[in-house]
Amino acid sequence: MNQEKNDINQLIHDTRAPLNRISMQAELIKMVLDNDMPKDKAIAAVNKIIDACQDCSKYLQDIAEFSHDD
Amino acid sequence: MLQVLLVDDDAEFTEVACQIIEFIGHDVYVASTLKEAEEWLTNQQFDHVLLDFMLPDGSGLHLIDFLQKNNLSPYITLITGHPSVKGMLAGLCGPKVNYIVKPLQREDIEATLNRKTKQSKKTNSKMPTLHFGCLVGESKPMQELYTMIERVAKTSANVMLMGESGVGKEVVANAIHASTGATDPIVATNCGAISKDLISSELFGHEKGAFTGAVARKDGVFVRAGHGTLFLDEITEMPIDMQPNLLRALENKRVTPVGGTQEIKVNCRVVSATNRTMAELAEGKVIREDVYYRLAVFPISIPSLSERKEDIPLLAEVFLQQLNDENDAEFIWTTAQLDILKNNPWPGNVRELRHAIHRAFIMSDPTTKVMQLPSSFISPFASNTNNSSAISAGQTIEGLEKELIRVTLNKVDGNKTQAAEMLGISTKTLYNRLHAYGDFTD
Repeated sequence: MNQEKNDINQLIHDTRAPLNRISMQAELIKMVLDNDMPKDKAIAAVNKIIDACQDCSKYLQDIAEFSHDD
Repeated sequence: MLQVLLVDDDAEFTEVACQIIEFIGHDVYVASTLKEAEEWLTNQQFDHVLLDFMLPDGSGLHLIDFLQKNNLSPYITLITGHPSVKGMLAGLCGPKVNYIVKPLQREDIEATLNRKTKQSKKTNSKMPTLHFGCLVGESKPMQELYTMIERVAKTSANVMLMGESGVGKEVVANAIHASTGATDPIVATNCGAISKDLISSELFGHEKGAFTGAVARKDGVFVRAGHGTLFLDEITEMPIDMQPNLLRALENKRVTPVGGTQEIKVNCRVVSATNRTMAELAEGKVIREDVYYRLAVFPISIPSLSERKEDIPLLAEVFLQQLNDENDAEFIWTTAQLDILKNNPWPGNVRELRHAIHRAFIMSDPTTKVMQLPSSFISPFASNTNNSSAISAGQTIEGLEKELIRVTLNKVDGNKTQAAEMLGISTKTLYNRLHAYGDFTD
């Protein structure tokens, strides 16, 4: 039971990582829009956000499958 | 510009975070493991460490241990996925450690590097409500008080505030003034503090040369209050033979300055205060009856702190927050400490509570965040009240007997033979009583 709980906690922790990246990349884009950063940084940031969304989705799927297994 | 060490194993996060931290104007270095972080910290001086909680080779707390062992003291901000770490930090770490919760925003990083942590903002949002901008408490007696303040504020009636010393009569006067929305000020004067000769001048003003020392014309408090509020504290300490002058001003709403000939129209509401009880007012010659009826159109009795014990933790939070703000500190209460404060009798009311908290604040160790309370809150004014309030109407004889036995046993450190002797009963009777009450433990 404890092991399962730990696994779930690990998956939740893993999900927070891409969310954290999304948040920071979005902050970077805001800075580009404020003309504080060069424009190409925004394009790179948008691509990274899209990737991070995919990661997030994958982790959420893992959590869903994990709870269905129970 | 700060030297910042960012310790996190997520390369993409550290890359973007570095750009943001550099943009904010600080130098930033990155470590992806505890080992790397330790190397950086050994070789270079850092002002601030942003530290991920979970690292490949251990927990962020290990790095805090490392810093303490090596006598390094940069500010540390733990980056955590879960706010539950807050409780652990409060007990574990010093004032130079705080936390921010993922997902991070730029303002989190800026705020923490500027030492204006979100944590303190959170405590602010948890702060008890300040009613009328100055009153604290959600108990029933206070709710009734708030209703009375609201009602009377809409009128121009004179108010007399009654309550024990230290309950906050001037604060209530300010609350009444604030809720009237008057643009003119509240002017306060203490009738007990002015010498008899100067009372008229203080209340009604004087003309230049009216008496020796009157080098210039002066407005009295009635005039200075304009359309606002005049607060007459300790009204019952005003010499009784001076009170007819006050009566005239209250009745006619006109005052004549000392040495003047022209009457001045006044239009303020008079809020007066006394710490005497109704019974004392009735029997003692402290206030003339006619003056009383003019001043106490709307009498308000302010509850003592013992009548609203549930408000003590709220008051303690507010006072501590004020002290923290004034002294740039971050002390907090533990639940147990708030319970101790709640169960103390506080015969000196809110004033005594505030004084005790201030003293504890000064005595607390600045390297920890937790306040340290003294073992007792003895004040020179407390003892009399304590002893005299031991018996009150409505208590049962059984209850009193039980209390008497408990107090006696405490006095003799639980020695039952000695206690029985003091109580004038046999040891066997004492044992029988103890057995009957059941809840005394040996």
